[in-house]
Amino acid sequence: MGEGSKVIFHLFGILDVTGEVVMMWIILAIVTVISLVVKHNLKERPGVFQNMIETGVEYLDHFFRDLLGQEKSRKYFSFLASLFIFIIFANYSGLLPGVGLTDYAKAPTSSLSVTAGLGVLTFIFLQVAGLRCGVKHYFKRFVSPMFFMLPLLLLDELIKPASLALRLFGNVFGEEMVTEELYNIFPIGVPIVMMVLSLLFCALQALVFTMLTSIYLDEVTETE
Amino acid sequence: MKSEIIAIAAAMAISISTLGPAIAQGITAKSAMESIARQPDAAKDIRSTLIISLALMEALTIYGLLIAFMLIAKI
Repeated sequence: MGEGSKVIFHLFGILDVTGEVVMMWIILAIVTVISLVVKHNLKERPGVFQNMIETGVEYLDHFFRDLLGQEKSRKYFSFLASLFIFIIFANYSGLLPGVGLTDYAKAPTSSLSVTAGLGVLTFIFLQVAGLRCGVKHYFKRFVSPMFFMLPLLLLDELIKPASLALRLFGNVFGEEMVTEELYNIFPIGVPIVMMVLSLLFCALQALVFTMLTSIYLDEVTETE
Repeated sequence: MKSEIIAIAAAMAISISTLGPAIAQGITAKSAMESIARQPDAAKDIRSTLIISLALMEALTIYGLLIAFMLIAKI
């Protein structure tokens, strides 16, 4: 569980910096540098690197447009795509050699605290997106078929981010644990079996997280 | 004696909670493949719905895994 992570040092005396936080800083630095480099020399006729990034962004754009429709996907693209990019980088960082074996670098999403943070972020995002579509519409959703559905729908609203967080944590943590156990059994060659599977599962989990978020978003911002 | 019982409980929590979703996911994948074979045009829609439903079933297994980890932590 999350409480197993060891504190490396204290920042400003109060903030506990763990291996997950260090890894998140590295991910943020990498993503920021890539975005700045691509943004800095945009060309009419793209080079290899820009072409690669454009393909990725176009894929995400098509993905969200299929789920949400043109207008909504343009409006919320920045949040959803950032979520996807962060989660996929965080999942894949567990496959780097050495990550997860020491206390100084761990895959961020293999800690319940990080995924719970993402869940809370999603929760706030959904509420704000719902309120932006009209306050009356937002409250009407909780009593929509009948009045006595209110407690169930309120509970549902809280369970959504919790299940998102638990799913991501469970999958990534489970993969990390299996890889570690295989490494303990026989260090050379055997963990590759699980790591190849992880390549698929990590991308799938990032996809599932953003897909469910956008489906919840579609429900919240639905207008008749 | 107590820790042995907890170990057995953890093993049962994960194994039993894997059984149901495994069967359900098999049935879901089967019918999705049948519908893709029958109607290849709708493959895209079916695939995204399939992934969502598989993820929702996966959650049940994950809850079992979570309980197993919580039990293991008590040994």
